[in-house]
Amino acid sequence: MRTDEDALVEVGFRVAALALLALVGALVLGWPSLVPASLLLLGGLYGARLALDDPALDGASPFFAAGLLVTAELGYWSLEERETVKAEPGESFRRAAFVALLALGALLVGSLLLALTDGVRAGGLAVDLLGAIAAGAVLLVVVVARRGRRDDTRAS
Amino acid sequence: MTRRGSPRLEGYAILAAIGLVAALALRRPELAVAAAPFALVLAIGLQLAREPGLDVRFTVAGERTVEGADVEAEIVVRTESSVDRLELLLDLPKGVEVEGEDAVAVRLRTGEERTIPVQLRCSRWGVYEVGMIEVRARDLFRLVVWETRLRRVHELKAYPHSETLTRVLDAAETQAFTGSAVARVKGDGIEYADIRDYVPGDRLRSINWRASARRTGLVVNERHPDRNTDVVLFVDSFADLRDGNRSTLDDAVRASATLATRYLERRDRVGLVSFGGILRWLRPGLGPSQRFRLIETLLETGVAPTYIWRDVDLIPARILPPKALVIALTPLVDPRYVTTLQNLRARGFDLVVVEIDPVGLVEAGRNELERLAYRLWLLDREVLRSRLERLGVGIARWGDGVALESALEEVRTYRRYARVARV
Repeated sequence: MRTDEDALVEVGFRVAALALLALVGALVLGWPSLVPASLLLLGGLYGARLALDDPALDGASPFFAAGLLVTAELGYWSLEERETVKAEPGESFRRAAFVALLALGALLVGSLLLALTDGVRAGGLAVDLLGAIAAGAVLLVVVVARRGRRDDTRAS
Repeated sequence: MTRRGSPRLEGYAILAAIGLVAALALRRPELAVAAAPFALVLAIGLQLAREPGLDVRFTVAGERTVEGADVEAEIVVRTESSVDRLELLLDLPKGVEVEGEDAVAVRLRTGEERTIPVQLRCSRWGVYEVGMIEVRARDLFRLVVWETRLRRVHELKAYPHSETLTRVLDAAETQAFTGSAVARVKGDGIEYADIRDYVPGDRLRSINWRASARRTGLVVNERHPDRNTDVVLFVDSFADLRDGNRSTLDDAVRASATLATRYLERRDRVGLVSFGGILRWLRPGLGPSQRFRLIETLLETGVAPTYIWRDVDLIPARILPPKALVIALTPLVDPRYVTTLQNLRARGFDLVVVEIDPVGLVEAGRNELERLAYRLWLLDREVLRSRLERLGVGIARWGDGVALESALEEVRTYRRYARVARV
């Protein structure tokens, strides 16, 4: 007999397949905007699982974060390699090492954040505040980046 | 340089923002953990991204080359701040190719200078401007891209390659200056012409003692003097029939360059008339400098479409000296050019036509009507050729699979027997 859980698993598989399809589409068609779409689908799936299961604190989230970052980096790298520019020997190894370093950094930062969150979990407001500050910081970064680009364009 | 965000920048910003907002909305810190690396990469990457102060130079080893030959060039690039990936694309005009890749990517440290050797090759003769370089620099995190298009232009002249030609056509009449052509008149020279009776004033060393011994009086040798000739290359630039591999104008220019070189080697004076939409000419001259002048004038030859009737009267008289051998290089497709040839012959010029055969460039057609038109066109060309030959004009058909030398040999044979033609 088919249960609700089975149905959810099936939906999860479909969303994952859609994410994979978006990533493959991005790489085959050369559309970089499909890379974050694919990752958002995976993130959404993860968020839905968290919302439904409601675990105390998922210890695998740093690994998930590192995985997402590596997928994004490899996806964009692959898109950059579509342009036939002869690179210096050893550049691929250097780039691969850099991606591995990023993954390691993501794992480390994720673990630190998770530990921090666990520490302050007693107060829900602290988590909200942390999230709000982080979201605000990201928006600030985007605004600063856009302003910098405008200034450079004007100067050139 | 123009600065712009890479797709990675936008993607990471979207992922980080949505992840953090979702973490707030769902009250799940794990989502913030998932979004944090993207936000961190953005923050660090944008902080470290610096515009590279690039100094790019482009040099070419020479100004002149021959089509098909390699030319050494190099791109020298120097940066003030480090660039993780600097992409350089040499944007070349049609007709110039790079041996290998035309785009390279290098990594430069602060203050580093790098020389990138490039091998250029001109696939067709002409004057080219090379040195448009597209530069793209990326930072370590590949979030920001700086782009610019640099103009480091050098003029590169590709001379047409020479056809195999060991013997050129002799003009019917020679000029007054010393050269390598045996004149028809008698005078001081090397080639034996005849003997005649001695007259006072003849040099003693011209006396033919053997012949004199058999006769009652002294007999002297007469000789043909060695003189130069005037040659005018008359290039048809009204039309150019071409396919992927061949072009009648390209072939005409190559043949002209070859003929000019060979005639100048014989100390003949060579001039040029490019007769078409744009009329170009070069006065007959001799020597190596004339060869360069001729070829560089030929490089400017191109087809400029026009409906204006052109006549031989447009050409200044000093460009077409009397007794000059006029060699017309033409596919014989434009009636204005054919009429001009007839006019030149009527004015008494010694005229030879090197027909750049366009038949291989024209398809016979798909249906019966087109094939009929094609056959009519071929017949029309035959009529045109015989009309010119009746005027005493030798025609060398030069095209696919026929060497220029063999084509000219046919004309030499024709001129040997058909010289008596009168207009």
